[in-house]
Amino acid sequence: MTAVIEGAFREAGVVGWLHAVDLDSGREIGVRPDESVVLASVFKVPLLVAFFRRAAAGELDPVEQVALPPGARVAGGTGTSVLLDEIRMSLRDLACMMITVSDNTAADTVLERVGLDHVNRTLTDLGLVRTRVTGSAGDLHASLMADAGVTDPADLWTRLTDPGVAGRLSALDPAVSSRGTPRELTRLLAAIWRDEAAPAPECAQMRRMLGLQIWPHRLASGFPYDDVLVSGKTGTLLTLRNEIGVVEYPDGGRYALAVFTRARSTAATHPRADAAIGTAARLAVQELRGWAS
Amino acid sequence: MSKMGITHGLISDWIYSLAMNLVGHLECFVVVAEELHFGRAAERLGMAQPPLSQRIQRLEKELDTRLFDRSSRRVALTASGRLLLEEARDLLVRVDRIRAVAERAGERDVLRVGVPEDLDGAVIAALLGTFRDVRPDLPLDLRPAPTEEHLRALADGTLDAGVLRHPCDTAGLSLGPMLGQPLGVLLPDGSPPAAAPELRLADLEGHDLVVSRREMPPAALEDLLASCARHGFVPGAVHESPHPQFTLGLVLAGTAVALVPRAPAAPGTVWRPLLGDPLLQRTSCAWRSGAPPEGPLADLIEVTTRVLRTEAAMTPVHQRVVLRPSSGFLA
Repeated sequence: MTAVIEGAFREAGVVGWLHAVDLDSGREIGVRPDESVVLASVFKVPLLVAFFRRAAAGELDPVEQVALPPGARVAGGTGTSVLLDEIRMSLRDLACMMITVSDNTAADTVLERVGLDHVNRTLTDLGLVRTRVTGSAGDLHASLMADAGVTDPADLWTRLTDPGVAGRLSALDPAVSSRGTPRELTRLLAAIWRDEAAPAPECAQMRRMLGLQIWPHRLASGFPYDDVLVSGKTGTLLTLRNEIGVVEYPDGGRYALAVFTRARSTAATHPRADAAIGTAARLAVQELRGWAS
Repeated sequence: MSKMGITHGLISDWIYSLAMNLVGHLECFVVVAEELHFGRAAERLGMAQPPLSQRIQRLEKELDTRLFDRSSRRVALTASGRLLLEEARDLLVRVDRIRAVAERAGERDVLRVGVPEDLDGAVIAALLGTFRDVRPDLPLDLRPAPTEEHLRALADGTLDAGVLRHPCDTAGLSLGPMLGQPLGVLLPDGSPPAAAPELRLADLEGHDLVVSRREMPPAALEDLLASCARHGFVPGAVHESPHPQFTLGLVLAGTAVALVPRAPAAPGTVWRPLLGDPLLQRTSCAWRSGAPPEGPLADLIEVTTRVLRTEAAMTPVHQRVVLRPSSGFLA
């Protein structure tokens, strides 16, 4: 089956990494599941876990109102990042924006309250020692611009095909950028789904937010079934397209998935690469379910 | 406005036809008055623009008043047009009521019900017998045809109710309880998959599929193939059969398998259930939307649903639907 999944990646013009695990039987399947991969916006999931652990411990107030003045926006194409006027929102609603629409301004506001060291301490506590968050969304954006030598984000894509530029971008380097392994990320999801990442009520809130993510084009595209619940969080950074999530079948079957891809093409819009994430995930789940349904 | 140039002999003809069809002319008038645009009004009425203009002109002649001011740029109601608009609307509402009453009165003679062509003989008999017990005075006129034909007949008013296969376009219809009948596999006796008492769809991998062309509208076939793919069966080819005997021929020859409800298998074939019933053929009663069914129609729907459950082993379908944000409310 791993050869079939590799074939699906190849056909879409991407290199892919995958880990899939049946949350109840522990059966698993992987394609290079222990290699280091760049998280991109998937870093918002460890951040979410750290946020709710600190909230449960009483170290921060999830309903505290935060004001975001018009000048304080982080680059990004969704959520509060694109709004023009002052916004007031609770911390947990900002967390919701960061998960459901991958809102970078919301994520960095939450990260500021939680603290980078707390995110990494949480990962260590959960035994995920190869998953590290090395900076905010804003940091990642600044490093990209500096490494590429551009001041306008629109120029990033055109510079990407220049000789040597892609190799210079530390944001794409798992040794420097926020990183993890597919296997560790399915363990993180499993901890959320088994109420082990935080107290049960906080895990339920995390599952709700992940279930409300809006994107239909990656993981969810592989499961075009009305009776299947797909929860997840994408990550997108230039040629990298990722998603981690959990797929739940009406018979109770639950599968954690982590799929990471790097496209050979430098096209900014690459629907086949997006869809390959869903296809690979479906092939993995079919293997785990043994065609049960 | 062009001169009509009608000779004297024709005038009596068109007055006669107008008298017969004043309602039709008033319908045109109301639509033009609502649109204030002949092109759009013609489109709404499903007719070409020139005959619509002629009808309005005839109506103006008949009523001896101008209804519209037409300039090259715009159409506006005249004062008398505005006055007549309310009257015309009132009249049309009453005409609708007359038609509805006539339709209801007509229903008492016979109830016209569309049924799928492949419904089992025992089910047809039970349907007729049970309804006769409930309404001995009201004969059932059962009309076997594909669902697509029933949909047209329901829209035309030539059927009172239909037993429909889903999915289909149910706009303008009300539906009774959705019932599901598990599909199994029709195979040649002695073929390797036939050795097992129960099959998984994945066991059929490598086989072709034969489906009934008449009972399988495009949307239903698409759903069936998607469900098959979900469970590991992607047919090498899909053969559309015009007739059950042709289906049987392809199955006997080993060319294709068929996915059909449990039925006595023809000699040389066997029917095997699918593990976990992954495929359901969905069926429901349907009638034109409006008031909740009462009287004979309510009895018919109750009897049909009951007979399909007891005689055709159909059970209510409870499929959970997990709405995704991207296909959620107004998304």
